[in-house]
Amino acid sequence: MDQVLDIILRFVAITVVFVVVLLVVAYTVLAERRILGFIQGRLGPNRVGYGGSLQPFADLLKFILKEDIVPDKSTRFVYFLAPVIATMAALMTMIVYPFGPEVTLPVIGSIQLVVARFDVALLYVLGITSLGVYGIALAGWSSNNKYSLMGGLRSSAQMISYELALGLSLIGPIMLAGSLDLGQIVEVQSAWHGTRWLIIFAPFSFITYLIAAIAETNRVPFDLPEAETELVAGFHTEYSAMKFALFFLAEYINMFTVSMLATTLFLGGWNVPFADVVFGRGTFLFALVSVIGFLLKVIFFLFLYIWIRGTLPRFRFDQLMSFGWKFLLPLALFSIFVTATAIFFFIGK
Amino acid sequence: MLVLLFILFGGLAIGCAINVVAQRNPLYCAISLIGVFMSLASLYLMLAAPFIAAVQVIVYAGAIMVLVVFVIMLLNVEQEEKRRIRMGFLVPAAIALAAALIAEVSFLLAFVDSEPLQRSDIGLTRSIGPALFTQYLLPFEITSILLLMAIVGAMTLARRTGELSPRARVVPGDQMLALSEIDPTTSHEEPGTIEAHTTSEAARVLGITDLRDQTKRDK
Repeated sequence: MDQVLDIILRFVAITVVFVVVLLVVAYTVLAERRILGFIQGRLGPNRVGYGGSLQPFADLLKFILKEDIVPDKSTRFVYFLAPVIATMAALMTMIVYPFGPEVTLPVIGSIQLVVARFDVALLYVLGITSLGVYGIALAGWSSNNKYSLMGGLRSSAQMISYELALGLSLIGPIMLAGSLDLGQIVEVQSAWHGTRWLIIFAPFSFITYLIAAIAETNRVPFDLPEAETELVAGFHTEYSAMKFALFFLAEYINMFTVSMLATTLFLGGWNVPFADVVFGRGTFLFALVSVIGFLLKVIFFLFLYIWIRGTLPRFRFDQLMSFGWKFLLPLALFSIFVTATAIFFFIGK
Repeated sequence: MLVLLFILFGGLAIGCAINVVAQRNPLYCAISLIGVFMSLASLYLMLAAPFIAAVQVIVYAGAIMVLVVFVIMLLNVEQEEKRRIRMGFLVPAAIALAAALIAEVSFLLAFVDSEPLQRSDIGLTRSIGPALFTQYLLPFEITSILLLMAIVGAMTLARRTGELSPRARVVPGDQMLALSEIDPTTSHEEPGTIEAHTTSEAARVLGITDLRDQTKRDK
């Protein structure tokens, strides 16, 4: 009976997380269009609903109702499989992020605000991220289109190059927290009334992580593989309607995932400074404030993404690759070295 | 419950493995192999080795198979066509050897007594990490050197052969002009590529004062 209740609770948790992710992603798309508009001196879409707030639903309707064109000579199975892999890899990482502290509810008891908490959560995230490369590579190849193939191969090469710097930049916080478990990493940052954020101790790792993550998600300034002016539309040229929507969705969910990982590892996760002094740990209000704080930090990172998109030009592909291998990888190694030295001398473990 | 999961993932692994050799399109074989690795990772998880499961996904499914898929895409490997089986005696030989293998495994399962491992935290990261750097340090370092050898070997094999003149330097992303393009009077013995960032710089290096002056170029 207890196990059944546990499974039901997990299903509820997964549904809640799924809905939250989709809503946040839909409104991130709207926010991007509006903020980019303001950066570029124009208004974004603001006709549908107040200030454009129903625009995501209009877009969804459009995507569902569009004609679905499948190229004749494409490899059917792989062509249909690619967006599935991309979206699956983007969504599967959602289950390990802790949205808030453990909270004691009156009826159900004490619940953890994370879907699945296990030992190797960070390695799991890295593994699933590396599976996301397949979605893009297979999409580029199966479209039977030269532009798609070039875009797909370039994008895959870029992603696997920056995965190294990404993984290495995560070693700093892992060393500081002493665990791969994301819940444990956030709990380590609860010290000093919720201000002992790991970004204080590992700033180089943070910068490396941010740059590598922007490259991993194929965003400006690293978005040559899908740039509209360069390769028609890169690897998703031949995808229309719902399949294109799935790629689009996968990219924004990846952005969301990366922002959540940055928040969890560097910005203290759900720790709001001095919230435990005001509310007291374990209470419902503390949990509520923590969840809102977490979401605000994630929204800050999403805003940073959009801000960078509106400001910077894009890298040329060889500049991109040489930046990844010759600058970012040594910087990541250097950040590990600095963090390890600091731990050895100051924390003395 | 665990038995059910084992049957599921084991069956998936076997099915994908059969699919790897049964498919004609090489990309389907690669995708089936990825399916095999994911099933293996799930089986590792069921054996309480989460670190190995995660590393299996990261290394095998996420890096090695990406390389294989790249190779298939870049080389545009064609679909295999149905051929008549030559060396037909191999099929009964394979069946006989497979029967021998099944007999051996059945014997092992039925008659050899083995105790399951008692310690349950041997697959966790906090057990593997220290052991890797203290007790198993020598294999770890030797493996690093092995990987370094592989990298150096790959770089040596992929390097351009030494036919360029000592003056030539290949800088990716910058302009590279063949000498014979600018100055048609060069002989083709010395390939003579030069490094330049712009056409005017190349012209300056070669001593051509005015690129637009056709008379000077045709000298």
